[in-house]
Amino acid sequence: MRKLKLLLVALDPAHDVGIRLIGKKLQERGHEVVVLPRDTAPEEVVRKALEMRPDYVLVSRTIGYDFDPLVRLIELAEAAGLRQTTKFVVGGRAVRPELAKELGYDAGFGPSTRVEDVVAFIEGVEVREVSPALKREKPDITRGYTYEIRDEEVRSLLLEIARKTLAWAERRTSPGVERARLVFEELRTYGRRGVDMKKYLSLCDDRVVAFYQGSPEIKGVSVVGEDEVGSLSKMVGAYDPARRVPTVRHTTGKPLVFTQFGTGCPVADVMAIKVSEAWGADGVIHFGPAWEARTEGLLSGYVRYSGDGTPTTFENIKLYARFKDSTTLLSVRAHRGLNTPETVVLAGFAGAELTKVNPVYGSIGGGTDPERLVVDAVASLKYAAGFSLPYDIPTNEELAGVPPHKAFAGMLVSAALGLAVGAKPVLKPLACLSPHIILQGYMEDNYVDYNFAKVMALREIIDAPIWPGEPIGFMTHSEDRVQSSLTTAVHAMIMLSAGVDAVTIASSDEAYSGGPISLMARVDTLRAVKEALRALGRARIVPTEAAAKFKEELKDGIRRVLKEAAYYDNLAEAIYSEVFGTKEEGAYPGRAGRNTVTNR
Amino acid sequence: MSQGSQRGGSSSGVFKYVADAIDLEFFLVVSDEEEARKVSIEIVRSLGLPDPDVVFVESMNSGSRVRVRSYINRVGSRYSWLSLGGGGEKA
Repeated sequence: MRKLKLLLVALDPAHDVGIRLIGKKLQERGHEVVVLPRDTAPEEVVRKALEMRPDYVLVSRTIGYDFDPLVRLIELAEAAGLRQTTKFVVGGRAVRPELAKELGYDAGFGPSTRVEDVVAFIEGVEVREVSPALKREKPDITRGYTYEIRDEEVRSLLLEIARKTLAWAERRTSPGVERARLVFEELRTYGRRGVDMKKYLSLCDDRVVAFYQGSPEIKGVSVVGEDEVGSLSKMVGAYDPARRVPTVRHTTGKPLVFTQFGTGCPVADVMAIKVSEAWGADGVIHFGPAWEARTEGLLSGYVRYSGDGTPTTFENIKLYARFKDSTTLLSVRAHRGLNTPETVVLAGFAGAELTKVNPVYGSIGGGTDPERLVVDAVASLKYAAGFSLPYDIPTNEELAGVPPHKAFAGMLVSAALGLAVGAKPVLKPLACLSPHIILQGYMEDNYVDYNFAKVMALREIIDAPIWPGEPIGFMTHSEDRVQSSLTTAVHAMIMLSAGVDAVTIASSDEAYSGGPISLMARVDTLRAVKEALRALGRARIVPTEAAAKFKEELKDGIRRVLKEAAYYDNLAEAIYSEVFGTKEEGAYPGRAGRNTVTNR
Repeated sequence: MSQGSQRGGSSSGVFKYVADAIDLEFFLVVSDEEEARKVSIEIVRSLGLPDPDVVFVESMNSGSRVRVRSYINRVGSRYSWLSLGGGGEKA
C-alpha cells in the first residue's frame, strides 16, 4: 500500500472529533498525517497544502447552515492550482454526496459514516470486513438446561398431573391426531403431501374440502403464483451475506431476539424474514390466521390470506425455511387450535427449529375445547420430541385477565407433559401490563419489579430456558412509533437484566391493527432494541425489594393451583373446572372441536 | 424551482397548516443507499413537495429504511400559519 500525505482540518468552530479520529486511524496505517487546529481559516489551509503537497485534503464541517468556508476553500485551492495534484474530501452531519459535488469536492461523507469507510476511500480499496454474518452460529435456546424441577412440592404435583393426563390421553384420539398421523406417514414415506387426500379430507371441515376441490370458500384466501416465488428466489439469491447486522445483541450471548411475522402472504413473509435478519433478529415466529385454529384441516400450496396471519401450509413453511439464513431460528406456532399436531409435523418436516404448544392457554384463551386440545397437545409434544423441536409455552391468557400464577401453573403442566415424552419446553412468561397487574397495582411504580419477579419465580422452580413474549411490553405500546419502539427497547433491557434466554419483540406497529406490520416498523424496533442492548452491555437494571415479595406470592399461587389441579383425573377436567382461570377472570373453555375426541 | 413552488407554493392551500416540515417514511426495495436516496427524493418531488432532503437512510440486504423531508416553512420565509389567526382556522 502506498503511503499517502494527508492534510486534515475541521472548518468548524467546535466539532473536530470525527476528523481527529480519522487522522489517528490513518496515522496508525502508516500515512503521513497533519491535522490542523479546528476552525483554521481556508487561506491558512491552502498555504499549508501548498507547502505539504498532500494527496488528500480532508475537511469536516458539522454545522449545516453555512457552507461558506467550504466554498471558499475550494475557490482558493483552484486559484492556487492545487486541484490537479490534491483531492478534496468533505465530511459532516449536513454533508450529502450530492452536496459535496455541488460544492466542488471530489467526495463527500455524511452522517453515519464510519472511520473505516473514509480510510478505505482514501486508500482506494473497498471496505472488506470479515462478514459478521458468516460468524453467526445457529443458537440452541435449550443448551445447558437440565430441566430439573427444583421445587420439591411443585415437582411431585407436576409429575402426578402429567402421569394421569398422559394415561388418559393415551386412550383417546381426535381428527387432528389422525390427520397428523396421515401427514406424518406421507411426508416420511413420500416426502410430499396429498397421497391419500380422500382419507385426509374425510377428517376436514367442509370449507377445507372445498379448497382442495378448487372452490375456495374461505373469503380472502388465494394461491400465490409460481412466478412470484421464482422472482422472489432471484431477488433473495442476489443478497450479499455480508450486508447485514449480525445480531442486535451487544456483548452478551443472551437474550436472542425474535420477531413475529404473518403478513398474510408467504412472499411478503419472506421479505419480513429477510428484513428482520438483515437488521439483526436471531429468529422469526410464524403466525397463522385465527380461523385456522377453529378449522379442521390445513390448506396446501403457496397460499395467502388477506386477513390476520398467513395460512400454515407445508409449502409456505418450506419457503420460509428455504429463504431464511441457516443461522436464523424459525418457529411455527401450533399451540391453540384444531391443527396443533399436524402443524408440528409440518414444521418438523419443513425444517423449522421451534414450535409452540400450550393446551391450557389454547383452551381458555384460544377458543379450543379443553378435552380436544389436551389430547392433541400430547400427540403434538410426542412429534416435537421426535423432531427434536423445542416448543415454547405462551401464557397469553394473562392478557384476558387470568392471574399470572394461574397462567404459570398451566405453563408448568404443559412443560411437564413435554418432559414426560422427551420434548424440550421453553417457558414463556409475558413481560406485560396485564389486566390483573393493573387491577392489583403491581406496576404502579415501575415495569421492573413484577417482570423480574416472574422470571425469578420460574428460575427457582425449574432449570429451564425462559423466553418472554409475545411480545415483550404487551399492553404498553401505543400507535406512536417512537413510544412503541422505546417501550419495547426498555422491556428488552429489563429482560436482559432479569437474565432471560430470548425475547420476542413487537414492531412499532404493535398497537396498529389496520393492516400487516410494515417493514419500516420492523426495522425501527430492531434498531431501538439494538441501541438499548448496546447501552446496557453487561450492566444490569436492579429491581427494588418488591420483586422478591412478588416472587414469593407467585410461587405460593402456583403451588395452590397445582395442588387443586392434581385432584382431577386429567388436565382437561381441571381446565373445565376453572382451576387455571375462572370465567370472571376471562378464562372461557373453548368450544371448537367439542365432542370430537373418541376412544382409540 | 421545485414542483411545489411552481404550483404556487407548497405553503398555500392545505399545506399552510403544516408548522414546519413534512417527513415521509418508508422502506424501499432498492439495491443500495445511492438508489435509496435518488428514489426517495423522486417520491417527494412526485408529490409536489419542495426541497426534498434525505434525513435518514440505512441500507442492508433487501432494501433501505428511509426518512425524507420537505420543509413547508423555512426560517426566513413568512410562516404560512400566521395567517390562520389566534384560534386557528377550520380546514
